[in-house]
Parts: sequence; C-alpha cells; structure tokens
Amino acid sequence: MASRSRDERAAVQGAQRGSLPDFESLFRLHWAPAYRAAYLVVRDAAAAEDIAQEAFLAAVRALDRFDRRRPFGPWLHRIVVNRAIDWARRRELRREVGGDALTAEPAPPETSPDRGLVDALAGLTADHRAVIVLRYLLEYTPGEIAELLDLPRGTVNSRLRRALDQLKGRVE
Amino acid sequence: MSLRQLRETPVPEGAEERAWEVARAAYEARDPAPARRRSPLRPALALAAAVAAAGVLASPPGWSLIHSIRVAVGVKEAQTELFSLPAPGRLLVVSQRGLWVVQRDGSRRLLGGYRDAAWSPHGLYLAATRPDEVVALDPKGQVRWTLPRPGARFPSWTGSFTDTRIAYVAAGRLHVVAGDGTGDHALGPAATVAPAWRPGGGRVLAYATPRGLAVYDADRAAVLWSARGRPVRLEWSSDGARLLARGPVGLQVFDARGRVVAEDDPSDATHDADAAFVPGTHRVAVIRVHGAQSDLFDLATGRTLFRGTGAFGQVVAAPDGRWLLVTWPTADQWVFVRAAGAPRIRAVAGIIRQLGPGVRVAGWCC
Repeated sequence: MASRSRDERAAVQGAQRGSLPDFESLFRLHWAPAYRAAYLVVRDAAAAEDIAQEAFLAAVRALDRFDRRRPFGPWLHRIVVNRAIDWARRRELRREVGGDALTAEPAPPETSPDRGLVDALAGLTADHRAVIVLRYLLEYTPGEIAELLDLPRGTVNSRLRRALDQLKGRVE
Repeated sequence: MSLRQLRETPVPEGAEERAWEVARAAYEARDPAPARRRSPLRPALALAAAVAAAGVLASPPGWSLIHSIRVAVGVKEAQTELFSLPAPGRLLVVSQRGLWVVQRDGSRRLLGGYRDAAWSPHGLYLAATRPDEVVALDPKGQVRWTLPRPGARFPSWTGSFTDTRIAYVAAGRLHVVAGDGTGDHALGPAATVAPAWRPGGGRVLAYATPRGLAVYDADRAAVLWSARGRPVRLEWSSDGARLLARGPVGLQVFDARGRVVAEDDPSDATHDADAAFVPGTHRVAVIRVHGAQSDLFDLATGRTLFRGTGAFGQVVAAPDGRWLLVTWPTADQWVFVRAAGAPRIRAVAGIIRQLGPGVRVAGWCC
C-alpha cells in the first residue's frame, strides 16, 4: 500500500512535469473505480462516463496546483461522488412522471454483481448510495468518507447504518 | 449479501479508451506550469519539458458527451466532410499526420511531418518547423530552404513581397532570420510561445519572455515596452493597435503603449481556453471553459456567440472577419460561427478522420 502510494505520488509529480506516461498511469489506475463509483450512484452508464471523464478533465486543469503530498485518489473520488450525487438529485427533481420507466435498465452482463444487490442499491437515496460506494467499492473508512463528503462523522455512520439496514431488508 | 461484489460492476466496452482519448487530449493541450528555477541548467531543461508538453489538441470523442452535445446545441446536422470553408482564404492545419493546407473548396494537401507552421505575409510561402529544423516551403510542399536549429518552434513571418523576416523560438531564445533563410541571429531569452509580428509598417515583434512579454522593435533593436505575466498566446489586432495576450487562465488586451485596455480574469472554476481578434475590429472572441461546458463570447459585450458541452479548443478568425472557426475536440467537430450579421452556424464532423488526431489550426490566411 505504501509502495502504491509512493508510485502514485511519483506519477503525480511526473504528470505535473509533463510526462504523458505518468498521467496515463494515474488515469489507468483510477478511471475504472471512478466510473464504477459514478455508475452505482447515478445508475446511468452514459452519465457515469461523463462524470468520470469530467473528473479527469478537472484533474488536468488543476494538475499544476495539486499538492503532490496529498493522495490523488481521494481527491478524484471526491469530485466523482459529489458530481454523481448532484446528478442523481437533479434527475430526481426532473422525474415528474413515469419514474419506473426511467429506472429501467438493460439486463447486466454475466460478470456483474448480483442483480438483487444492484436493484436494492438503486432503491436507496443518492446520499445513501454514495456512502455505500465509498465504503465498500472504494474502501474508505467512515472518517475518510466524512472528509470526502464534508460531513460530520456521525452523519456518515448513521447513513451507513441506515443504508445497510435497507439493503438487508431489500435483498433478503 | 456481499457488498464486495460492487467491485465487479461491469464497465462498458471501450468506455475507458474513449475517456482516455479525451483526457489525453486535454492533458496534451494544457499549459504546462512554469518550471521552478533551481540551477543555471534548469531553464534549458524546463524549456525542453515545455516543448515536449506543448502538445496539440487531439480527441476521438467520448460518445456519451457527443450525445448530449448533439441534443444540446443542434449541430446534429453537421456535415460529414469539410466540403468548403465559409469564408475566403486557406487554412493551415497541423495534426499528428503532418501539416495540411486546406483550400476554400475543401480540397486539402498534406505537406509532410511538420509540427508548427505559419503563412508568409501574402500566403505565397510557409514557414514550418520539424524537430531541430526551420523550413520554408511553398503551399505545394516544395522545400525552399532549411535551417537546422535545436528545438525550433513557432515560426512567425512578416514583411513585404520583397523583404521578409521570420521569428521563431529555439533552445529558449528568440531568433529572427531573413525570409531567404540568411542572417539568422538570436535576440534574447524567450519562452516557448509563438511570437507575433505587429501588422503594418516596421518590424515590431511581441514575444513571451521568461517573466512576461516584450514588444521589440527589430529595426531599432530596442524593447518598446514589456509586461509581466505568463502569456501562452500572443496576437495583434489587424491594425496593429492592440495586442492580445492570453495566459493559462485569463487574458489581457494592451494598447500600442502597453497599457491594459481590456482584460478577462475568470473565476477559479473556469478558464479562457483561447481568444482571437476579429480582423478589422478590436473585438475579441473568447472561449471560456467552465466545468463540462464551453462558451464562445464577445469580450466587450459579453454576448454568447456559441455554447456547447465539452471543451472547445481554439478560436480562429477568417481573414475577412466574418466567421470564427471553433475547434471542438470532445465532439470531433469544427464549428464555424458567423461573427458579423445574423447568427449562423455551420458544423463539420469527423475532423480526426479527415485530418488526423491532434488537429490544431495554425492559420487562416489570404
């Protein structure tokens, strides 16, 4: 883990100096998790692509100002998850009629996670989906999630607890 | 119930590569940060890094973005080919395939593997650079002369039919050479930014120095005025009375004496990606990128001329000042926006297929 952190810092430093291979290594390391996080919050593949892509474009714009002592991943994930929450909230506001149809999705490929779990996750609010994604997909601690989402730690814990309770109720 | 399964959430086929193309293009098009001075050798190394990082716009599209673009701005009727230019003149375009001359009727000629280029004052010749070489050639690609210089970049040509000069940057110094390739000499330290000759009489040149910009009179061998900053693009108005200096984030417009007469200082969340004078006027068209959206607007009035999703790249004005070409890497489109008269838009898709990845417009000339 420490080695990976060192590698990441070196890649950030290289990318700041103009090294395309270093920037690509950052991209390859973080893009798929960023996409998955966005997708699990917004449940829309095109929107998730946009959100992950915009996060990397934001990273490019801020690269020169980025403090290379900080880890890159949390900074990127913060952008991704906050944008995904915003997107999901806006969609909720737009959903005036036909809400069920809007959530209809094609059948997932064979390798996808259990459909019941995905459907259950979709039944949560965007805020609750976000804490689940940060905790179990991106493996942040509740304290780190609190920092990422700019929330009190108690709020994160209660959201996690409620989200898990709801998921259990829906899956079982 | 194992929430670890979430890590197996599938990624759509090709999505990562689509995203990478866009991210890479944005990375290559960014303005590198100034290098920190640590030793006498550092400036040369930093310049080499800046040269390496000063890439060109390239981007096969992110399809999800394209979908929203076409819905949002109504250029779904974009032409599939660049059948013609909406205004007189020829385009000079650099891509990873090389240097192109695009005629008004859409016909195009690939001249070879050059990375920067500029028209001569009357469009009879081109100055271009290859790695470590300045080259003068005609629009059919026939080389007239070459001048080996390490890291030569960004030629800029000025003068009359009979007496011309080419300025360029090589190894951290500004050079000027006669139009026939003779008398090359270095003038002083310069940043790797295209110098700009002032239109009209005399040989006055704006160029980026390591600490800002300078306006230099080559006939009198004197700096007329200078300003601090970090310009990444310099352009004179067609009458030579105004100088536009775009920095990594915002821009300033100077008058002939170096006084700032207009500026744009965007907030942290946005930046000016490019700007250009409209020929025959002192109007400045600016591309502002904010989040996932870009605007083309008139600096003086603030009026939005064109808006789209994704990142616009360049704005280039037609010689007659009636049209603006906006490159739109995330959509793989060029959009021609009418700058005078009733609003009108013409879009062309498939730019990468036609001209190659990394397309950058180097000039629109006579």
